[in-house]
Amino acid sequence: MRPLLFAAFLAASVPEPSGYWTGPNQGDTPDTVTGGTVIHTPMLAGMLRHGHPVLIDVSPPPPPPPELPPGTVWMPPAHRDIPGSVWLTGAGKGEIEPAADELYRTKLRTLTGGDLGRAVVLYCHPKCWLSWNAAKRAVSYGYRQVYWYPDGIEGWEEAGNATAVVQAEQ
Amino acid sequence: MRSPFIKIVLAAALLASGAARAEEETDADRAKRWKDLETAMFADRKVADGGKFISIEAPDRAMDAALVPVAVKIGGKVPVKGLYVVVDDNPSPLAAHFTFGPAADPREVKIRVRLEQYTFIHAVAEGADGKLYQTAKFVKAAGGCSAPATMNDQEALKDLGAMKLQTLATFVPGKSMEVQLHIKHPNFNGMQMDPVNRWYKPARFINEAEVSYAGQQVFHFEGGISMSSDPAITFGFKPKDRGELTVVAQDNKETVFEHVFPIPLTEPAGE
Repeated sequence: MRPLLFAAFLAASVPEPSGYWTGPNQGDTPDTVTGGTVIHTPMLAGMLRHGHPVLIDVSPPPPPPPELPPGTVWMPPAHRDIPGSVWLTGAGKGEIEPAADELYRTKLRTLTGGDLGRAVVLYCHPKCWLSWNAAKRAVSYGYRQVYWYPDGIEGWEEAGNATAVVQAEQ
Repeated sequence: MRSPFIKIVLAAALLASGAARAEEETDADRAKRWKDLETAMFADRKVADGGKFISIEAPDRAMDAALVPVAVKIGGKVPVKGLYVVVDDNPSPLAAHFTFGPAADPREVKIRVRLEQYTFIHAVAEGADGKLYQTAKFVKAAGGCSAPATMNDQEALKDLGAMKLQTLATFVPGKSMEVQLHIKHPNFNGMQMDPVNRWYKPARFINEAEVSYAGQQVFHFEGGISMSSDPAITFGFKPKDRGELTVVAQDNKETVFEHVFPIPLTEPAGE
């Protein structure tokens, strides 16, 4: 009994914050998101084979070019994610600006065709709180089938799946 | 009765071909990325395959994407005058460029780099004849450029530019010797979000170093923001009876750091 309890304790070492996460974007994330379902790569691949869940990548925007010595090669690679995704950079912020909040609501409404029962999948990178926040936020908007895919773009790629170049939504 | 079975086989076949296609596409993208970088860095100079005499040692999967050790070994009989280490999928891909002088032993160089996403790392050696040769290794690690600095500015800038030298081989006069130079410097890359004010810390990093031994150049180093914080460079040089190894380094804010190490090291290494 004891080792089992200990294992359960270890597994639950990162608790869900009561509100949105406002700390660094990257770090250990919880195993759950209240009101949503956590899925991993095989499940997501299956869902994509058999349906059309709304895929939303909430990876942060690329940083602006830093001030570098003249002549330094600055060539950010194109952003790649799961084919068919919409890239919404602001949707996972801990403290969201009203404009970004409105954009997220509007995009969700458009992408789901106003159907609150439509499956919505939120992701960014592994160990990325932004997708956790975005999933929680989608639940708060009233969506009933919210999926959080914590494996992120790298987890998807790792399993040998295709990625596609995407431009951020404005 | 048979249809579910056939369905499963079909699904598996589709999955397998999908995965293969995905990898081919990704490979094509990565090859194109490298071609673009070659053009940006070397213009129309030809970069030949150097896989026979250059090798890269790096983990297949790095534990810490902000601190990925990369060793480049150069064998064969081609005399080498320079070495470039490139992290293909970083926004500023050129991590380091070494130009070797007469006191250098360029057969092995080690640095530590940041990786923003899964990427090829390329090593490009420049022969004494000016020809370029490349080899590459794929490394899995992500988030190393945007990872926030682990300490506050005051701690990060404490003892800025302090240097240590560690000898990795016994000193034998006239025989090539491997040492590791360590420079204390946060190497802020301009892509790290400050957790307090939520803006990017300006880039501040070691971008040049000149290392010489007994008046002869070992190497000149040009570093980029892909170098990890506290830059560490392992290199070889040829000491004589006794002499001094001199390091002059500079960051992009033009702060200059200098240190002179007696060889063999008499005191406990560095300060």
